[in-house]
Formats: sequence, C-alpha cells, structure tokens
Amino acid sequence: MTNIYELKDVTQSYGGRTVLEVPEMKIGKGSIVGITGPNGSGKSTLLRILAFLERPVSGRVFFRGEPVIEIDETLRREATLLLQESKLLKRTVFDNVAYGLRARGIKEGLSAKVNHALEMVGLDPGDFAGRLWFQLSGGESQRVALASRLVLRPEVLLLDEPTASIDASSGRIIARAIVDARERFGTTIVIVSHDIDWAYTASDEVISMFSGRIRSRTIENIIPGPWEESRDGTYCRRLEDGQVITAVRGPEEVYSTGLLDPEDIILSLNDPGNTSARNTIRGTVVRMNLENGEGNVLVTVNAGGTIFTSRVTTGSLSKLGIVPGSPVVVVFKANSIRWV
Amino acid sequence: MGYLAEGFRKAFIILFSGQEETFSAIFTTLKVSTFSILVTLAVGIPLGFILGYYTFPGKHAFRTISDTLMAIPTVVVGLLVYAFISRSGPFGGFGLLFTLRGVAIGQFVLGLPIVVSLTASATEQMEDSVKLTLMTLGASPGQLAASSLWEGRYAVVAAAMTAYSRIISEVGVSMMIGGNIKWRTRTITTAIALETGKGQFAEGIALGIVLLAIAFAVNGFVSVARRRASI
Repeated sequence: MTNIYELKDVTQSYGGRTVLEVPEMKIGKGSIVGITGPNGSGKSTLLRILAFLERPVSGRVFFRGEPVIEIDETLRREATLLLQESKLLKRTVFDNVAYGLRARGIKEGLSAKVNHALEMVGLDPGDFAGRLWFQLSGGESQRVALASRLVLRPEVLLLDEPTASIDASSGRIIARAIVDARERFGTTIVIVSHDIDWAYTASDEVISMFSGRIRSRTIENIIPGPWEESRDGTYCRRLEDGQVITAVRGPEEVYSTGLLDPEDIILSLNDPGNTSARNTIRGTVVRMNLENGEGNVLVTVNAGGTIFTSRVTTGSLSKLGIVPGSPVVVVFKANSIRWV
Repeated sequence: MGYLAEGFRKAFIILFSGQEETFSAIFTTLKVSTFSILVTLAVGIPLGFILGYYTFPGKHAFRTISDTLMAIPTVVVGLLVYAFISRSGPFGGFGLLFTLRGVAIGQFVLGLPIVVSLTASATEQMEDSVKLTLMTLGASPGQLAASSLWEGRYAVVAAAMTAYSRIISEVGVSMMIGGNIKWRTRTITTAIALETGKGQFAEGIALGIVLLAIAFAVNGFVSVARRRASI
C-alpha cells in the first residue's frame, strides 16, 4: 500500500507550548485509521495538520509522496475535515451540500450529486433538500455536514469525533456512510474519537495518543494518577470502588499516567487465586468489538470507574462465554504498567 | 390631558384626510433617508467587513474612531457638514446647502460609523467554526471572504436597520443643512419641531405617529434579523 501521508519530526506549538510531537507517521492510501486518546492528547491538532488547515512549527509533511511546501485551497481540496459539531452554513440543505462543488466550479449534474450524497447519509432529498439549517436536529445536521464532504468524493476524509454529540441512530448511519465512502471512492479515512466502537471494527489501524505523542499504533489502556507509594515499595492507584491497581517501578510524580497494553491483560471469570500477577480487579464487561482483519476481539471492562480494554482471540472469548454485562476479573502483572 | 386627546384626534384626521403639507414632509423624509442609507451601506458594509475580517496596521485606531463616531451628536455632524458645504466652505461651490443632497451627505456621515462598527462587530463575532467549515469545504480566499459576509448577513441587516433608525429620526442635520424649507427640505423631524414650536400639537402628533410607525417597522425587522443571526 502506498502512503498518502507521511509525517517526519512534526511539532506543533501554541503560545510556546508544544501540543504535538510526531517523530514519524505514515497513513496508507485508502486505509481507515482510528486515532484515540484523552482530551488534550493532540488528536485534533494532528487532524488540522492533515487537513492542511495549519502548518506545523517544525518537521515535514509529505502528501502523496510530495513534500507540502505551500498550503492553498488546491491542496486543501484534497482533504476535507468533518468537525465534531459541524457548522452548517445559513442556507438550505441543498446549498450546504452543493457549496464545495460550487467552490470548485462544478455545475454539471449538481442536483444529482447532491441528492446522491444526501441518500448516502440516509436523508431523503425530496424531504430535506429544501430545509433551512435551523430546521434540522443535531443528528440530521451532522449527516448534512457529512454529505457536504462525501459529495466531493474526497481523497481524504478526516473526522473529528463525528458521532460524539448525536443520537445512536444517526451515529450508525454516519458510520455506515463513512465505510461506504472508502468502498465507493477509495477515500482514505482518519477518524479521531474518544469512543470509537465502530471505528475499532472498521479501522485498519488504531493509533493511541497521549500528551501530544503517539504512544502506540494500537489501543492502550490509560491509567491516570494519583499514585501512592506503599510500604513494600510498590505504587498504588485506588479505584472509585476501593480496589487497588499496583505497579512496580515508581512513576516520576504522583499524577503520572500509566499505560497498559491490552495484550497484557488476561480476563478471568473467577479470581485466579495463586498467580504471579499482582493485579486482580473485578469489573463488568461493557463492550466487545471485533477488530478489523485481526480476528481478535477488544473487550472493554469497567472496573471501579476505570476502563480496561483487553485483546482476546475469538476462540478464548467463546470459551469464556462472556457478554456485555458479565462480571469478569481483570488480571495483569504489576510490571506491565509503563509510565508516560 | 384633554388637549393631548384632542391632539391625537386631530392627528388622525390630518393623516386620513391626506393633508398635503404633512405628506410632503413624510415623502421627503423617506426619499432622503432611503438614498442616504443605500449610499451608507454601499460604503459601510465593505469597510466594516474589512475592519472585522482582516488584520492590518492601524486597525484598532480606526475601530476606536468609528466606535466613537457612532455616538456623535447630530448637531455636530450638521455643524461639520455645514462648515464644508456653506458658501465659504471648501465645497461651497457645489451649492449643496439647503438641499436634500446636502442633508443626505450629513446623514451619510451620521450612519457610516454605525454600519462600519456594527458590521465589523458582526464579522469579528462570527464563530471560527464557520470559517473553518468554509475552509474544509475548499473555499478559496475570495470565496471565504464572500461566504463569511453572507453567513453574517442577518447581523449586517441588523446593523443597517440600526443605522436607518438613527438617520430617519435625526433632526440636527436636517435642520442645519436642509434649513426646514417647506415643500423642499422639510422632513418629519424638522416639521415636528416647527409645529410644536408653533403650538400646533395635532400636526406634530400626526407626524410623530408616522415616525413611530416607521421606527416600529424598522425595529421589528431588526429583531427578526437578530434572531436569525443568533440561530
């Protein structure tokens, strides 16, 4: 697969504060990449750089193998970004969807293209095309905003929390339309989200970000502080329900953040008893997602208000017989926790 | 209170009987104020947009001057314009004093800062997400500027109506520049001042009712525009 993007030593700062540091990153043409991470991890900044809305303070961005030297609308028209709460223009749905085409001077087949894009996002053109921007619900607005991008058949579609503030039904339609865009137009898709249930299943790759850096090219568990030093020299993080996570090799500071690989977590139906793993934490399965192309399932467990994600094979999962709502024990070694 | 009630009764008779002198003042007002606001908008909207949208040296000083001039007393505008267009002024040769064209110049000076400042504010207050949305849809710099102005159109209309309210209700410029000449430069406001001075309350009230009706209509329009702008 050829790369559509390549970032080398890219740094972004605002007011002297570095918010993004990416030593190297490649995104394959036609791939779907999910980017996850907590607030302030640099996800949206990375998207804005990929959308050519801002230029990094240092480093180089390559697009289709060519270094990006000058940013203008010609380049910006190759990649379109859908914001979390996209602003619709103060005009009809039709004019909103047609805006990008008109900006490019495309007049031929305008109506057919707009209608097709509206259909892709599950909106009946006959009912919606003439509506004004304030005659739509939040979910419908977001779908119109997505249609405004899909109508352009973009080479790259960047999505910033596209389903975060809308109803589940609209979220499902948007998810389907995005995957559809890749299949129909070969669009490269980059999705940023806290909660990317559907992205996990659709993404070819998931990147975890934290504090402006790419931590891994997989999902990671993030365990924020405060950490307390115990008498035996280990470090503890108390969960909301009183259970304790234990880590060896102390953090640099009380509020350091621990990272835990989903591969390092074992799920058990019962307390495993004698085991070398220090951490046996009881929780409830809240979500299960099939990883795209891997044949693995990401099982998300809520334990004392902290979310743990474990990667298990489909075989192990059927042996465990768990479903969302099942009580499980999350088991991992104290030395599996790494520090940010 | 009796004379007030009597004044209103007579005012309605004047309005419904179509008294020529009263309607001459009404038409003169509408004619000159409509011309003034159109010229003011043609100059003020682009200037206000540039002031709100772009960054350039002296922008803040220009904005401060414009904001200050929004509250300039109409008689001061009248005085300044008088000084320029009177026979001994630099534009005395154009014969603008005591003409409607002269009044229109004064009203333009009065309305311009309002349109410029309020258009600039509307442009500045436009959410960044609007600009970002236009950029993500591939707008060129020219399209971005034009579309941004179009997105702020309701706020700009509100600015225009605010300026029109000020123009149509001013008395200082019309009196000093127009001279309150019957059938020629007498406007609603100058006529009200004159009739009241003569003790002719009914005529004053009749013209006052018309002015209030125009003001209500304009403000109703402003209110709708502001509501649309905030959606």
